[in-house]
Amino acid sequence: MKFNFAIAQINPKLGDLKENLKKHIDVIQQAKESLAEIVVFPELSLSGYCLRDLTMEVAIEKDDKFFNPIFKLSNNIDIVFGFVEKGKDKKIYNSAMYISNGKIVHVHRKIYLPTHGMFEELRFMSRGSEVKAFETRFGKVTILICRDFFHPSLLFLAYAQDTDFVIVPSNMPLRGLNGQRPGIQETVEKAADTYVNFFAHFVVYVNRVGFDDGLGFYGGSFIESPSGAKSASADLLKEQLKVGVVDTEDIYRKRQIFPLSREEDLNIVYKNLEKIMEER
Amino acid sequence: MIEIPNLNYNLVRKFIVEFIKEEVFSNNFKNGVIGISGGIDSALVSYLAVEALGNKNVYGLIMPYKLSSKASAEDAVMISKTLKINYEIIDISDISDSYFKLIPDIEKLRIGNFLSRIRMSILFDKARENDAIVLGSSNKSELMLGYSTWYGDMAAGIYPIGDLYKTQVFEISRHMRIPDKIVEKEPTADLWPGQRDEDELGATYKELDQIMYQYIDERKTEEEIVSLGFNKKTVLNALRRIYGTQFKRTPPPTAKFSSRTLGIDFLYPHDIGK
Repeated sequence: MKFNFAIAQINPKLGDLKENLKKHIDVIQQAKESLAEIVVFPELSLSGYCLRDLTMEVAIEKDDKFFNPIFKLSNNIDIVFGFVEKGKDKKIYNSAMYISNGKIVHVHRKIYLPTHGMFEELRFMSRGSEVKAFETRFGKVTILICRDFFHPSLLFLAYAQDTDFVIVPSNMPLRGLNGQRPGIQETVEKAADTYVNFFAHFVVYVNRVGFDDGLGFYGGSFIESPSGAKSASADLLKEQLKVGVVDTEDIYRKRQIFPLSREEDLNIVYKNLEKIMEER
Repeated sequence: MIEIPNLNYNLVRKFIVEFIKEEVFSNNFKNGVIGISGGIDSALVSYLAVEALGNKNVYGLIMPYKLSSKASAEDAVMISKTLKINYEIIDISDISDSYFKLIPDIEKLRIGNFLSRIRMSILFDKARENDAIVLGSSNKSELMLGYSTWYGDMAAGIYPIGDLYKTQVFEISRHMRIPDKIVEKEPTADLWPGQRDEDELGATYKELDQIMYQYIDERKTEEEIVSLGFNKKTVLNALRRIYGTQFKRTPPPTAKFSSRTLGIDFLYPHDIGK
C-alpha cells in the first residue's frame, strides 16, 4: 500500500492551547490539500514543552470537547498530536493521541520522562506504562514519545507486536554544535538507522522547532523506511509541513531479505527476562 | 592541554539568529537595543541582531565616559555605520561625575561598576523609548567567571552569545567577517585607562576557556583537569571565580514561608504564552 504521509514540524506557543489549536487546524488543512492520509505533530504540540507550573493548567482529558475541531477534520486524514493529558486516574501524563474518523484510536503515555540536567518532566507528570501496537488502516502503529525512543527495550516491544510504523513525536532540544549536524540529531538518526534495519519498520520522527526558555528544538523531522531511505525530511530550525510517499511493501521486502522477525523467539526473551528479574 | 572543540559556526550563527528572532517577535517587539562598546562581544551581538531583525530595527547605544578610550567609541561608531543601524552617542561623564564628586578617593572597581550600571539604566530606558528588548553582550566566559557587573552589563532581556566562550566569540566573529580591527583588539572592559581583561583575570582567555570547558561541559574534576597539563593555580583561580560569583547568576533567595514563592516553587516559564 502506497500513501502520502505528512509530518508537521511546528513551533507551538508555550501554554497557549487556543493558538496552538488554530495552528493544528491550519496545518491539518494544508496536509489534506497535499493529499496526505495521515499527519503527525510533535510531542506536546498543543501546549509547548517547558511548562513547569503551567502543566496542571493546560492538562485536558482525552475526550474533552476542546479537541472537537481536530476530530471533525479527521474524516479523510488520520491525525497524531501531543497534549498534556489529565488522566481519569487524576494523574497528569505527557501523551500523544492517534485519531481517525472522529474517534480516538489510541493514546500513548510517555513512559520515560527525562528528569536530569535541563529536563524536569517527572517533577510535573506521571509515567505511562504501556507500549501498544494498535491497528490502523495503514498497518500496526506504535507511538513512542521522544525519550522513549532512546530506550531500545521499548522499540523491541513494538517489534514483538509486529509494528509497521513507529511514530515518534518529539521535543528534542538542540545540543552539540561541533559537527556538520547537531550532535543530538546524529544520535537520533543513528538510532533510527539501527532500529529500521533490525526491526524492519518505518520510523516517523517528528520534532518541533522554536525556543522555550532558551531551549532550542532543532526540527530535522523525517520518515525512514526499513531500507534506510528517507521519504521525507524537514530542515533544521524551520516550521515545515513535509509530505512523503510511503510504501508498506518496503516492510515486507525487508522482512524477507533479512528475516530477523521470522527467527525471533519471544519465549527465549521471556524466559531470560524472567530469570534476570528473579535474580535481581 | 586540550583545545575546545571547533564549532560549526554556520550552524551556531543560524541558531542564535533564530533565537533572537523568536525572543523578540514572540514578545511582540520588533526592535533590539545594544550597548556598543567598540569591543568584540557587542560587535558580534550587533551583527547577529541585524541578521535577525534587520538594520532598521537595531538601536546601538554608545556610552563613553571621559576616561574611556577614544578609539573604543570610534570603533563603536564604525560598527554602527558598517551595519547601517540606528545609533546614538550618550556621554555618561556628567551623570556619573555628579555622583563621584560626592565620594572622595572612590576606588576604581566602584567607578567601573557604577559606570556599568549607569549604562544599564540608559539601555533599559532606550529600550522603552524604542519599543525594544535589551540584547545582552555577555559571553559564557565572563558569565561563568562572574567577570561582569551584577545588574550592570549582565542586565539584559536575552543573552544571545551567553553560551559561547570568549575564544569561540573570536572564531565566530572571524567567520562572520567582523572587521579585523575589532577581532584583533585586546579584550578590555574599558572601565579605566589601560585595563586589560587578561591582567585582571590572571590568565589568558584561551587557558581559562579550556579549563572551563573541561570543568563545565565535560564535568571533569579539578584533579583531572590539572592532570591534563593545566597549571594548578590557574585551575583553582577559575574554579574559585565560578563558585564565588554564583550569586550573580541566580535570582536572589527569598525567605520562603508561604505555599508558593518566587524563585522556589512559583515555577512558571520565562516564555509563558510565547
